[in-house]
Amino acid sequence: MVRGGYALGIAAAGLAVAALLAWHHATVARETLILRGDPDTILSDPARRAIALRDGAPVFRNHCAGCHGAAGRGDPHRAVPNLTDGDFLYGAGRVGEIEQIVLHGIRAGDTRGWDLAEMPGFAKPVPYAREPLPSLGPQQVGDLVAYVRRTGPADANARGRILFTNTAGCWDCHGSDGGGDPSIGAPNLNDRIWLRGDGSAAAIVDTIEHGLAGVCPAFARILTPYQARVVAAYAAALHPRNPHR
Amino acid sequence: MTLLPAPSERRSLGLCAVGALAGLVVAGAGLFTAHGTRIAGVPPEDVALVNQVPILMSDFDAQLRATDNVGLDHATPQQKRQILKEMIREELYVQRGIELGAQADVIEVRQALVGAVEAQQAIDANAAQPDEAALHAWYARNRARYAGEGTLELADLIAPSSAQAGAAVAALRAGTPAQGVHSSGKVDDGQEFYFAARLHLGDRLFAVAQGLRAGQLSDPVAMPDGWHILVVRSNQPPVPPAYDQVRDRVLADVRADKVARMQAGADAFLRRRADIQIAPGFE
Repeated sequence: MVRGGYALGIAAAGLAVAALLAWHHATVARETLILRGDPDTILSDPARRAIALRDGAPVFRNHCAGCHGAAGRGDPHRAVPNLTDGDFLYGAGRVGEIEQIVLHGIRAGDTRGWDLAEMPGFAKPVPYAREPLPSLGPQQVGDLVAYVRRTGPADANARGRILFTNTAGCWDCHGSDGGGDPSIGAPNLNDRIWLRGDGSAAAIVDTIEHGLAGVCPAFARILTPYQARVVAAYAAALHPRNPHR
Repeated sequence: MTLLPAPSERRSLGLCAVGALAGLVVAGAGLFTAHGTRIAGVPPEDVALVNQVPILMSDFDAQLRATDNVGLDHATPQQKRQILKEMIREELYVQRGIELGAQADVIEVRQALVGAVEAQQAIDANAAQPDEAALHAWYARNRARYAGEGTLELADLIAPSSAQAGAAVAALRAGTPAQGVHSSGKVDDGQEFYFAARLHLGDRLFAVAQGLRAGQLSDPVAMPDGWHILVVRSNQPPVPPAYDQVRDRVLADVRADKVARMQAGADAFLRRRADIQIAPGFE
């Protein structure tokens, strides 16, 4: 009877060790599957997609939802991008691009992160520290807003166009057509998707006057490489029109 | 009363063997998964290890994209080999540079290291999400900072003498045209922000203008170029916006403040633990 108890104990210990080894092996196999493959094809591969979305959800909840919200819809009052609107501020929505943002952030102090430009604040004596730009007066700001929103009198639009495409230097980041530039995080001004505010004249005036330089933290020292990749895949999958989802 | 089993040499040896095996498994797992340990294989997150320093798969993928504009699945073996070769070379040279003490000799390396340590402090501060109560408290303490710029629209008239300036002020207050004055031309572009008005008028005249309401005019102000009379058409002082309107700026400022405090703390800590000897006369 007692001898049988010892045998059972030894067998249980053996089983526990075997289970531990099996769990470790499965973990390594899962991480290898996700990390050794092309990040941009994770979402088109059903097996990898299922793993990435399952494991990415809790990482998103713990590290991203604080700003972007549990559903990833962001907050225009705080200039936090909506991750579900199909509009990509940086890059084209590829998992690899999002992974780099997760790891190195945006204006987060990580030299490998995005930090190429910011929105100047034109109601300041020095609107932009990186290059000389002129300050604007209230009427000029109003003209720019009229041009950006394509509203207001024709003469205000005409003056705004000159400011946009010349004097104020807006074209340099947003493009002459206002279409934006995802390589520096300059928003498209024509798609009626607003990073900050609701697109009202008052909101755009506020952004032009005070500028904008949002920050996304760098998680390279906080998340594991596996967590960074699965949360990137999870975030990419939030865009309903993302061609990479 | 419990019956104890009879001593058994085989059982004792068996239990010892199980214990030793479990110990070996635990020790082996610890040994081969600890950072900096020489291991037989490359971890899943790395594409290579160079003297146990990992080259991350995500960096390799990003480098492939940046160099050849191609992802892992579509890169040729030759492209992958070439990128990996370059990344390994870079890592070897970085390690060799440290061996040679490049951080002591090369000014760019020193600047990059200082920047990297400062950036690391910023990363830690940026990764923390302050709660709403902390942001509200900051906003309440620094409300004026978010008020933005007021606006002024005015005329700046100059009279050559005190008498003519006095007459002009009297005429203007009576609602009649002023004689013998001309515009300074400095504020004729219409409404402008306070900072611009200050630049155009100078501190003294701006202070006078700032204190006037729409429709008011100043007493004559003696300046080197004549007697100035300010006629204010509109004066909109800065208005502190509601917290919700500036929440993103509050967050940025709270984080910047935290970065500054963390860096000050790090400066103090590094100095405290360092052995710094300063030559006499240079303390």
